[in-house]
Amino acid sequence: MTTRRDLLAGAGLAALAAQLPMAALAQAKDSVTISMTLEPPTLDPTSGAAQAIREVTLQNIFEGLVKMDRTGKIQPCLAQSWEIAPDNVTHTFKLRTGVTFHDGTPFTAEQVKFSFERAVAADSTNAQKQLFTPIAEIAAPDPATVVIKLKQPTANFIYGLSWGDAVIVAPQSAANNKTNPVGTGPFKFVRWNRGDRLEFARNDAYWGEKPALAKATFRFLSDPQAQVAALQAGDVDANTNLSAPEAVAQLKSDPKLKVTIGKTEGETVLGTNNAKAPFDKLKVRQAIAHALDRKTIALGVYGFDVTLIGSHFSPLHPAYVDLTGTYPYDPAKAKALLAEAGFPNGFSCTLKLPPPSYARRAGEIVAAMLGQVGITVSIEPLEFPQWLERVFRNKDYDLSIIAHTEPLDIDIYARDQYYFQYRNPEFKTLIAKISGTLDETARNELYKQAQQMLARDAVNGFLFILPKITVAKANLDGMWTDWPLPVTPLAELRWR
Amino acid sequence: MSAIDDTAPGRRHGWLSPSLLIGAGLSVLIVLAALVSYAWTPYPPTQMAILQRLQGPSAAHWFGTDQFGRDVFSMIMVGARNSLAVGLGAVGIGMVLGTALGLVAALRRDGLLDNLIMRTADFTHAFPAVLTAIMMTAIAGPGMLNAVVAIGVLNLPYFARLARGAALQVWAQDFIQAARANGLSNRQITIAHVLPNIAGILVVQATIQFALAVLAEAGLSYLGLGTQPPNPSWGRMLNEAQTFMATQPWLAIFPGAAIALAVLGLNLLGDGLRDAIDPRLRRSR
Amino acid sequence: MIGYILRRLFALVATLLMAALVIFLVLEVLPGDPAAVTLGLNASPEALAALHAEMGLDKPAPLRFLLWLGGMATGDLGESYTYRVPVAQLIGERMAVTLPLAVLAILLAVAIGMPLGVVAASRHGKAVDAGVMAFAQAGLAIPNFWFGLLLVLVFAVGLGWLPANGFPGWQAGLGVALKSLAMPALALALPQAAIIARVTRSAMLDTLQEDFVRTARAKGLSESTTMRRHALRNALIPVVTILGLQFSVLIAGAIIIENVFALPGLGRLVFQAIAQHDLIVVKDLVMLFAGLAILINFAVELLYGLIDPRLRQA
Repeated sequence: MTTRRDLLAGAGLAALAAQLPMAALAQAKDSVTISMTLEPPTLDPTSGAAQAIREVTLQNIFEGLVKMDRTGKIQPCLAQSWEIAPDNVTHTFKLRTGVTFHDGTPFTAEQVKFSFERAVAADSTNAQKQLFTPIAEIAAPDPATVVIKLKQPTANFIYGLSWGDAVIVAPQSAANNKTNPVGTGPFKFVRWNRGDRLEFARNDAYWGEKPALAKATFRFLSDPQAQVAALQAGDVDANTNLSAPEAVAQLKSDPKLKVTIGKTEGETVLGTNNAKAPFDKLKVRQAIAHALDRKTIALGVYGFDVTLIGSHFSPLHPAYVDLTGTYPYDPAKAKALLAEAGFPNGFSCTLKLPPPSYARRAGEIVAAMLGQVGITVSIEPLEFPQWLERVFRNKDYDLSIIAHTEPLDIDIYARDQYYFQYRNPEFKTLIAKISGTLDETARNELYKQAQQMLARDAVNGFLFILPKITVAKANLDGMWTDWPLPVTPLAELRWR
Repeated sequence: MSAIDDTAPGRRHGWLSPSLLIGAGLSVLIVLAALVSYAWTPYPPTQMAILQRLQGPSAAHWFGTDQFGRDVFSMIMVGARNSLAVGLGAVGIGMVLGTALGLVAALRRDGLLDNLIMRTADFTHAFPAVLTAIMMTAIAGPGMLNAVVAIGVLNLPYFARLARGAALQVWAQDFIQAARANGLSNRQITIAHVLPNIAGILVVQATIQFALAVLAEAGLSYLGLGTQPPNPSWGRMLNEAQTFMATQPWLAIFPGAAIALAVLGLNLLGDGLRDAIDPRLRRSR
Repeated sequence: MIGYILRRLFALVATLLMAALVIFLVLEVLPGDPAAVTLGLNASPEALAALHAEMGLDKPAPLRFLLWLGGMATGDLGESYTYRVPVAQLIGERMAVTLPLAVLAILLAVAIGMPLGVVAASRHGKAVDAGVMAFAQAGLAIPNFWFGLLLVLVFAVGLGWLPANGFPGWQAGLGVALKSLAMPALALALPQAAIIARVTRSAMLDTLQEDFVRTARAKGLSESTTMRRHALRNALIPVVTILGLQFSVLIAGAIIIENVFALPGLGRLVFQAIAQHDLIVVKDLVMLFAGLAILINFAVELLYGLIDPRLRQA
């Protein structure tokens, strides 16, 4: 006869047994701590342009209809598939079903409609509003289908939907996403200790493959030395992009860590005011290009070799052509060109620099190199708001250095109001043609022409691609080496 | 701080106190470094040699090289020019304008103008100096000239108050009455009698403010708001050195030592001068 | 008496209003657009305009000034442009770092400075006195941010006893948190300790010459009792006064020191807010710093006025 007590004891044992494998699992590490330099100002990628917002939330908390993979290719995400009608403007997206937001709200076509209409609305504060302006109308014929009609064929429309600005949010939680983000992604928001750390937990109701890690923490270490120390001490498991390039050699020699130097979409350029004398003269710009020893600049900034560029395009894109040889380093030729342009004794100009250390360091070297060919450069450092106001908006500058980190942004040279003030009708035609060319091979050919045109015209001093210095514990797999898009997908991380 | 009694211990040496000697010695050293740097430095201070970056101190580079391969010793020599120029400029602005305002305030004692000047001086004091300087450079843009103006303006109230106080004491003395009896105007008396009598105390204050100005410029430059590259500045050298602290500590040691020695020298010189010029000032509060 | 206090109160309110106006005007002149900072390089003009409206920047300046004043009077400090949370919340979070840092620095400065000053005064003219004065000179000459860097070199890089920078938060444990405040507090305390040593010393030397001390000596009290009972007590007044007056110097020091040690305190917040054009945070913080300094001055003046009736006439 089984007594009540036996039953209880049996139940207790069963419970104990059930806990055993859990305990064994707990021994294998299922959490990760990742350090990064800048803290996101908010946690809503549709509320601002700060890269740090995307780094932590995109593909973790929030998802778009499509997502970019680590090779830069577009993959299905909340949309299972899509097709473009023969009219080249009607896009039909088949949505994934059975997906819920972290608060339990089911994901349907209505939220897609809401998200995109919110992005184009008159009071929209979306930082990449132009991604959505081609949209003519959005329809949700059934909960699992969205039909988006564009005003004209737009080649990179789908590509742009992988960005943080195009994530799908729900009407009832959208307003609070800045501090309490609710998305459909594999991780949920837990806690944010401003100035120190951000904690996420696995979304157990996730529609896709369950993440290997149960817990993830982002720690904000603005000081380069603190990043290095934390990695060496094992306090953090990885760093998304180390801001202490001088420590790379030291970290590489540590067998507990692995260090990779990857590429990004950050074309670092010596921005040149093409509308202002004497930079409106091609020969002057060519002289500047010949005066820049890119390899030495990059070495001086980083202490190791990084990818050099000869035009405004990232080597991560298949259409990339190497144009670094267009105007090779040749100070004598630079001087000759200056003389031909009417400046045998050179001239004086200013170089306005935004705060990032790559810009400040590169600026000092560029100033010295231009000095060698007779161009006297005085450096004027600016805080970012002042840089935006004076250089970017008012075009009150001669030269400036900044990395343009938006992916596939060669079209900025076709904008009249852009601070380079390039204004080449031929280039504008080319960009318009690219936007209307849906065939990838043909489009890539046009991209090549665009790169060559910019290189030939020496619009800017094209310097180098910002490197992504990833440091991780040797047994942590899955960190992205390159950054076709600045994200840190936690679901791809696992311990070995 | 000038209000604090700094009686150096064991002072019975007449005017040539150890303070004055050490202070003058250090000050001369800094001035010499600055002057010599115009004619000679071991290397051109702004010349980069990327391949020789981050070398430790050696016979070739006494204080090593920085991240661009520049010679740190040469940069420190030229940095002395920069510190002295900022000090001179800032104290110049503060002393000339501040003294003028102080003298006017003394003339109009308790009048509207006096109140206005002195209230404004008090008011400026309410704002933390570094914060004011940061905001001023944020508006005008960072740079040496703007740093000079910012620090100079912050110096103004010190001189205004000092000049007013000292001038009032002079005005109360008998020989002023005599001068007035001779038909001299207020302005004439101020220039002929008051100013010469307060010059000593102003010079002493100037030396001390000079030291504070050097310190302030170093702080602003450390925050990236002062002197800009390629002109070497001790404060900015420290800022850049911080990144390399774990591997190249010497970069953080030499520029800081230069600042400390310069400030120490000027402070000691100020103390020594005060005692030498007017021993009575020692005990005055 | 009441007339005197009323007059001082009126002056206080006028000064505070003046300070608010100056801060507001200065920040109006500062070039830059907080909305542009948030939205970055690709921002469309419509999005910028929408964000301006959201931030309340589309209103005319006089109205914004009045709204700001009204907000402060009712305890509403506005919402940060950068972080999009109430400024009061940000200040609260950062105060938890800066306040302990300042208190620690003051305690250290007093603990180092006062004994040194007392010893120097009691050995006036001797080698110890010379040593203390030399320390004071060095303390005033060494820039505190460089001293901070030297501490890091020795205790973090060299010995590895203390974290080089950063602050783990109080929830990480009292010991851990205090460990990361130790070096910054010491760096901040050094010049203050030097000043306190000098003030203590001279105040004690002064009182030692006063009649009542001579009388005490004449009464046959021992030297150390005289020191303790009379001279030290009288020296406390100038030391406390100096501490009050040094408040703004301490705040200024904190701005730099928090940057050296990457501490998430008020000093770093105001510096970053200026850099990011988070003007509402800058306005509130500068007003807070200035307001505190003005209030302390007011309190000191009022106290002196109460003690010394002659000063009330001025």
